[in-house]
Amino acid sequence: MISLAGELIQKGGFSVRRIFLVILTVFCAVMVLAAPFVEDEMLTPNSNPKMGGTLYLALSGAPQSFNFYGTLDSNAYSVAGQMLVGLVEPHPVTNAIRPALAESWEVSENNKEVIFHLRDVKWSDGTPVSADDVLFTFNYFVMNPVARGNSIARFTIEGELVIWEKIDERTVKATLPAPYAAFFTVLSHAYIYPAHALESKIDKEKLDSVNDVWLTNTLPAEIPANGPFMITEYITDQKVVMTKNPNYWKVDVYGNALPYVDKLEYLVVSDAQVRLAKFMAGEIDYTAVSARDFPTLKERELAGGPFRVFLAEPTQPTPSPIHIAFNFDTDNPKLKELFKTTEFRQAMEFAVDRERVIDEVYNGLAVLGGVPVLPANKAFYNPKIEEIRRPFDLAKAAEILDKLNLKDLNRDGFRQYPDGSKFEFVITVQSAPQEYQDVAYIFSQDLEKIGVKANLQILDSSLVGQMFGAGNFEAGIRAFGNQPDPQLRKAIWQPGTQLYYWHRTTRNPETNAPIFENMLDWEKRVYDLFEKGQIAMDPTVRKTFYDEWQEIYAEYLPVIFVCKGMNLSAANKSLGNVEQNAEGLLSYASWTVFKN
Amino acid sequence: MIPMMVLISIICFLITELQPGDFVSQYLDNPRISPAQIELLKKNLGLDDPGYIRYLNWVKGIVTRGDFGYSFAFQRPVGELIWERMGWTIFIALGAIVFQWLLAVPMGIYSALHPYSFGDYTLTVIGFIGLSIPDFFMALMLMYLMLQMGATSIGGLFSPQFVGAPFSLAKLLDLLSHLWMPLIVVGMSGLAGLMRVMRGNMLDVVSSPYITSLRAHGLDEKTVRKHAIKNALNPMVSIAGTELPNVFSGTIITAIVLNLPTMGPFFYNALLNHDQYLVMTFLMFIAFITQIGNLLADIALAVLDPRIRMS
Repeated sequence: MISLAGELIQKGGFSVRRIFLVILTVFCAVMVLAAPFVEDEMLTPNSNPKMGGTLYLALSGAPQSFNFYGTLDSNAYSVAGQMLVGLVEPHPVTNAIRPALAESWEVSENNKEVIFHLRDVKWSDGTPVSADDVLFTFNYFVMNPVARGNSIARFTIEGELVIWEKIDERTVKATLPAPYAAFFTVLSHAYIYPAHALESKIDKEKLDSVNDVWLTNTLPAEIPANGPFMITEYITDQKVVMTKNPNYWKVDVYGNALPYVDKLEYLVVSDAQVRLAKFMAGEIDYTAVSARDFPTLKERELAGGPFRVFLAEPTQPTPSPIHIAFNFDTDNPKLKELFKTTEFRQAMEFAVDRERVIDEVYNGLAVLGGVPVLPANKAFYNPKIEEIRRPFDLAKAAEILDKLNLKDLNRDGFRQYPDGSKFEFVITVQSAPQEYQDVAYIFSQDLEKIGVKANLQILDSSLVGQMFGAGNFEAGIRAFGNQPDPQLRKAIWQPGTQLYYWHRTTRNPETNAPIFENMLDWEKRVYDLFEKGQIAMDPTVRKTFYDEWQEIYAEYLPVIFVCKGMNLSAANKSLGNVEQNAEGLLSYASWTVFKN
Repeated sequence: MIPMMVLISIICFLITELQPGDFVSQYLDNPRISPAQIELLKKNLGLDDPGYIRYLNWVKGIVTRGDFGYSFAFQRPVGELIWERMGWTIFIALGAIVFQWLLAVPMGIYSALHPYSFGDYTLTVIGFIGLSIPDFFMALMLMYLMLQMGATSIGGLFSPQFVGAPFSLAKLLDLLSHLWMPLIVVGMSGLAGLMRVMRGNMLDVVSSPYITSLRAHGLDEKTVRKHAIKNALNPMVSIAGTELPNVFSGTIITAIVLNLPTMGPFFYNALLNHDQYLVMTFLMFIAFITQIGNLLADIALAVLDPRIRMS
């Protein structure tokens, strides 16, 4: 600016007006550069929000740590999600990726270099957010293999790590070993850590020392935030008190600084019934609701209860729709042969009464869902699967079983193998959540009607998880955590990965490498599609790969997806800016709600 | 005492080892965690060593450094974690015991002095209702009733705004308005047992020859009763000793339902998560307290009853 003014003086002589103009222009430019992020109007429909107050939410257990990368605890993740953000973030309603700490970025022609320009913002303790923070976070936390909650696998592309370089204080460059389509999605989960607060606390020679920072006995002042809230107090097993971050970088469309509330308090309530009771008593402002509790709560709302209950289109990918799996590698050779036969699994799909499950298990509060991409996930859902999906039709199921030579030879009401031995299998299912058991029960009842004997084995969830993991089951019912981008759940749905548990022989457990000779033809195709989807950068091209994956899943049924519960939640009437739009999506974010 | 503790620790360790899986098994179906990472975690936590080596290392830590190990989940020393939760645990448990005894002893005495009367039957019925309703169920029922009556704060020890607030009169009142529920729920369950023991003792004592002899000496009924009660209380003292471990572990499910910040739910989660050293240390602590309780009861009995001192 000074040199510019100097030039002006040299060229046209001194003019107050001109100098003023230059200053104004530069000032405006700086204003634009330092412009805070204006939150999407969808989240702030009320133009007259009330400032201040405390937002009360619940955690299902005490956080085990405050270090996002040092724990695998979901309560710790909830707290971290309020105080930290990444270079980019998902839109709280639509999940679309948008700028966060990086206000803009440029991608190189070859799709292998991304240059991020950091926003001019400060940590809650006043230190500026810098390129050093980004490098420190990726090198010591995100891509540190011994950090307990690391994401190194997500930043390893074709066996090589992403390289991060500092260009200047507010510019960083990421060099990808190969084009990587889900890069921005995985980036949104990589919260940036404060180098100034943590660098002295870790031992760079001993990389697992990063797990020992920000434990539950850390003084809150030592945990600076770059998200909407910062921790100010933790009362063991009772509550986490978070206060508005004065340096948060978002404003609403009316120019008010966000968040609206002064405080956010997470109450630790481990029992779901007690959480509901506390919500009904007005102690908690916003909560998720189970399908079982929904009718009671709705009834109370209509009778004048002090809360609103929402029934929204499912957008949260977790849990994925419940699925039924048949073990392609089960010990019993006859069952193994049968379970590997596509026609058998198609017959089983004809025997799944999804409508009845939705009606009886979910109180009608579920949708058919996808395989497993949700219909609300516009970026990846393939509506074609709806035509492929087989409706409930026991006659058709019986016909296919007859064709497979499974017939009731001795007229005892149950089918036998052609050699006369009994055809039966065990469905293993975990005792909680209740829905899994109920689905198993309804399915086994319908199977009995067509002479298929399915025995239920209901066990504790940790045991069931281990049995599935070890391939020690015949048929099973379960659901995984899911993600909007299929790339992030490659480890489940791509054959040859650790959680492709219904066909474990597609992976070498020693080397972790896929074994192609054990894959069926369509499995090989799915494997390729996931590999292609990973490196394609053009969203349209990517979608074609994942579209085909969904069609193959719908046709060949490696697992049979049943249905997906809707997003059920409830908010205290005093909570403003919780609204449902015409598409049925619910807008809610901790930094845009306010207390009346 | 020390050989006893060693034996208990071996048995407890064996039982925790019998539980299928270990701390890392809960992460096996998490797609975010690669198999390589699970192996690494297992190695870092020492979970790939055989059980007896882990046991010996744990004992070595206690003996040489007074170190009870490290919680896998919280990544902090277990002693510290248990200590943080001790305050409220003792407070609630002692409160419940005092509540129980203050009711049970007079109820037992009254029943014994008026046997087979209407009052006796009424108290017995109340006691047995408390005994027969599972305490977590009673907790749920009470919470439901409170909710129906329009309560604005359910469960826990404080309304949210008072949790962690500096001490004040308002905070004390808020505590009292929450505290009655755990006291009743936890206290009622043991009420009938204690009351029946007190009643039985009292009946035995009242019909014993020395009471008849006191009456024959012309002592007034009040003095006679005083002597009877003093003698009938002796067995209660030994019961009090065994109550001590219940203070810490007796009310796990109730504490979860009532959302109390005590050790019970914490221990329960540690068990589910296979947080082995945390579970072990907690169990050892309970074993230690049980022994201390019995010791204290013996001492108290000796102080109260000269006959025991003499023998």
